[in-house]
Amino acid sequence: MIYAQPKFSPGGDRYMLIEFGDEMNLDLNFMGQGLAAALAGGTIDGVVETAPCFATTLIHYEPETIGYDDLQREVERLIGALGSSDDIEMDSRLFYFPTLYLDPWSKECIDDYRAKINPSKEQDPEFVARINGLTDVQQFVRVHSGTEYWAASLGFWPGLAFLMPLDPRCRLTAPKYNPPRTWTPQGTLSMGGMSTAIYPVASPGGYQLFGRTPVPIWDRERRFAEFEGDLCIFKPGDRLKFVPCSMEEYLEVERKVTDGSYKYNIVEYQRFSVRNYKNWVKRLDLTARF
Amino acid sequence: MFEVIKAGLETSIQDWPGRIGYWNKGFPPSGPMDSWSFRLANLLVGNALGDAGLECQFMGPTLRFRHDTVIALTGADMQAKLDDLPCPLWASIAVRAGQTLAMSFAKLGARTYIAFAGGIDAPFVLGSRATFHKAGVGGLDGYALKPGQVVLGLPGQGRAGRRVKAAARPEIRTDKHWQVEAVAGPNDDWIDAAGHARFLSTQWKVSSKSDRTGFRLEGPPWTFTAKAYNKLPEHGSEPANILDQGYPLGAINLAGQTPIILVSDGPSMGGFINPYTVPSCAFWKLAQARPGEVFNFKAVSVTDAQASALAIKALCVESNIEN
Repeated sequence: MIYAQPKFSPGGDRYMLIEFGDEMNLDLNFMGQGLAAALAGGTIDGVVETAPCFATTLIHYEPETIGYDDLQREVERLIGALGSSDDIEMDSRLFYFPTLYLDPWSKECIDDYRAKINPSKEQDPEFVARINGLTDVQQFVRVHSGTEYWAASLGFWPGLAFLMPLDPRCRLTAPKYNPPRTWTPQGTLSMGGMSTAIYPVASPGGYQLFGRTPVPIWDRERRFAEFEGDLCIFKPGDRLKFVPCSMEEYLEVERKVTDGSYKYNIVEYQRFSVRNYKNWVKRLDLTARF
Repeated sequence: MFEVIKAGLETSIQDWPGRIGYWNKGFPPSGPMDSWSFRLANLLVGNALGDAGLECQFMGPTLRFRHDTVIALTGADMQAKLDDLPCPLWASIAVRAGQTLAMSFAKLGARTYIAFAGGIDAPFVLGSRATFHKAGVGGLDGYALKPGQVVLGLPGQGRAGRRVKAAARPEIRTDKHWQVEAVAGPNDDWIDAAGHARFLSTQWKVSSKSDRTGFRLEGPPWTFTAKAYNKLPEHGSEPANILDQGYPLGAINLAGQTPIILVSDGPSMGGFINPYTVPSCAFWKLAQARPGEVFNFKAVSVTDAQASALAIKALCVESNIEN
């Protein structure tokens, strides 16, 4: 549900958690991000930083500047001034990521898990297609790549974005691995719950695997100007479109990434209007997949 | 300034308060876990309280100095020797080029801080020199110190023979029992009355699987309110699962049935509840507790926790230094 009034709770002496509701609903994330954006410009003295998540905004504050009760009052006033979530508008960059769906590297990783940990584990793309009522893995690729994704929250690893499909016709769900994998290749596309994520570096993990992108989202050496002095490319409120590519295209992009000549494909002129988005969703035939 | 002869067990460059402002991208602040001892070390050598120094964990390093300088050691007692002479804690010491500081295992406490007059020079990454080795960020090369590395210093104005008054130092427990402050929330309404009573009355054992990411605690199972069971599927299947949310630093994160206190290098978000949060005034206790030692939690209010942090700040001042 979406709460009539946001719920405020303390996190020790320096944090405040604001919950807007308790369900996976993009509207709640728009509220969390809208509040974070409203707080970003130093609107309230003593707010150090914020971290929006699916249905919450976490505020880190400096108690020497503002007390908990005063902060709650100020944030309540700010939320009141923001109006309904329909009124929220945010700058939102759009990234195009070449993506090799059904790639050999995630298959190798799944096969290794089947060999060493769970022989009865179904191949991830087949499994996700089946439990979501899709005909086959080709339809899974069409559905998964048929939408823009919304960076709802970042965390778990620096720069790891939890991506939600903006087109409701492309919503898919998947359970996590149990037990988790001990390794996953860098750049692997994956799903858990309703989120899609790209593994920023090779790491253990629990999401279902089905593709790979050669484009780095984490750059410790800071070789690419698009990172703007940061080590990770995404921030909350960015959008991402996976563009299916061939193995040849994948290898060509990978080569450019390796020699530093790769240019990120980023659209930076758009603002995301929650009202426009909702009006568009209302007109869709939600029974149709792609 | 010095060359690393032996690295010790994960000795890292840290500054305070660390890498602040990147929580929404998943970067933890890092920085010293016992920032009280860290600040006092810097104060002793005439630095700004947050200047970069070393955090030594359980087993300290051996360093050979290349220049004359002034250093100070605070926190755990790692039986440090400067050449053959015992090196006192909580005092500034003159070091000459060619001398060797050799540290051993921690006899009392777990983390020692070394400040150098002027502070350590290392590149700023996202505004901080603090090491976050899990992602290879900060410090000299992103990781803990390695033998053979040479660490450079910045010009400083240190003076030897300064000591922290006993009343201004954190008192490391000798009886292995720590009373640790905890503020209820943010998800305290997921735990039932019996669960809260059990949390506050239990002698929680610090697991050996504890590090700068989190402190795992061993103790009895938790019990929950109806909220933990009557929830939408997106929260996850276990009672302690919640729709992914931002984590406060210090959160007592209930991973299934195992409470993990998330500290300096911890995750910024995840799908488990945080029934309590350890406030910043108690982080030094976590830093100095050793695996197998015992935590007993004391519920405090937000305002009391804020007052305790201010009280520690008020101790890290020049008037608490005697010459």
